[in-house]
Amino acid sequence: MSDNIVRAKDLGMAGCHTCGQVVRLMEKKHCVCPRCGSDVHYRKNNSITRAWALLISAFIMYIPANTEPIMYTTSLGQQGSDTIMSGVIYFLSHGDWPLALVIFSASVLVPIAKMITIAYILIMVQRGSARRQAENTRLYILAELMGKWSMVDVFVVALLAALIQLGTLTTIEPGPAGMAFASMVILTMFAAMALDPKLIWDQTE
Amino acid sequence: MATEERPSICFVCHECDALQQVSAIKPGNTVNCLCCGSKLFSNPVNGIEKPLALIVAAAILFIVANVYPVMTINIAGIERAATLTDSAMIFIELGRPELAAMVWIPGVLIPGFIIFGLFYILFSIRFNLALPYTRPLLVWASRLLPWAMMDVFLLGVLVALVKLVALASVFLGPGFYAFVVLVLAYAAATASLEPHTLWQALGEQSDGQREACCER
Ligand SMILES: [Zn+2]
Repeated sequence: MSDNIVRAKDLGMAGCHTCGQVVRLMEKKHCVCPRCGSDVHYRKNNSITRAWALLISAFIMYIPANTEPIMYTTSLGQQGSDTIMSGVIYFLSHGDWPLALVIFSASVLVPIAKMITIAYILIMVQRGSARRQAENTRLYILAELMGKWSMVDVFVVALLAALIQLGTLTTIEPGPAGMAFASMVILTMFAAMALDPKLIWDQTE
Repeated sequence: MATEERPSICFVCHECDALQQVSAIKPGNTVNCLCCGSKLFSNPVNGIEKPLALIVAAAILFIVANVYPVMTINIAGIERAATLTDSAMIFIELGRPELAAMVWIPGVLIPGFIIFGLFYILFSIRFNLALPYTRPLLVWASRLLPWAMMDVFLLGVLVALVKLVALASVFLGPGFYAFVVLVLAYAAATASLEPHTLWQALGEQSDGQREACCER
């Protein structure tokens, strides 16, 4: 059994994305899952085009997310602004390198790593490459899981803004990077969902 | 009952589309895909009772974490407390409702929906109640699962805490401790849940619909 793997698609069958129910599709393109009512299909519709479009939009949001201020601080009439990098540098200069590392990873490294991973898998699929299929599948699962951590700064600003509203003394307000971060996270998550990992395995030498 | 006389079950791998016939496994075991190695399904010990107990704990903690302040700060004699929901609502006050939605929906609303939805489903299965709407609830709970970001919210709370300690005197509220335990209970509950077990249990409740199988 381990040698001759059969793909469900080749037998006219498909597994439901939501509940896992195995359905006989045959010549139909899609049908309604008898168990959970979701749409069952062989492969996700326009997977590659949709994934690229979402990925490029996410990358466009990645730039303002990291260059624009994430929050404005007004202290006794004086206004200051913070970007992600200025926050990282602040923590580094105070010897708080674990926190600097957490923020840098979540906000800068994770999103770019996720976007590169999805782009790499898309290119491999488009080239019809049948190499490193198991590794690429694992990469895909990893990218799918880690993306949401980039939202952390939006939550941080929310909590700081809620607590530090001291009238004329100090106030914190969100900057434009917050919405850019949130949009980027949502777009990369949709991009990963649009990409069908089964396409990795559709290629044969 | 469609599932009784069939010793082995047919699975299609989510990641690689490999079709495989798997015979029933012992509780506590997991079956990985023969082709790509990702998890096909598992048979957790006490697959209904354990997640139900954890979800009940999570539901109580969810209420506590959302009612009581996460922390209170004191700067120059001025005190201010905030709950999880307050930290979203401040964005509405500041004229940024879209940011408020980005915090509140994945941080509070979706986790709450999943916790109470799973409680309803597990309760219905455990006590054989065949309550209505369990299937659409499970469909939506599994679709929304990736959008629940309570764990990320907790990391945000911890980062904010470190920032605030440098500025003011900070007092952790009951909401904070409840939130920490809630994230742990929620993670344990979702880890001990096997979707296949739930779907099979729901499949047995309604008698119709014979499962399509892969006799070749
Ligand atoms: Zn597989």
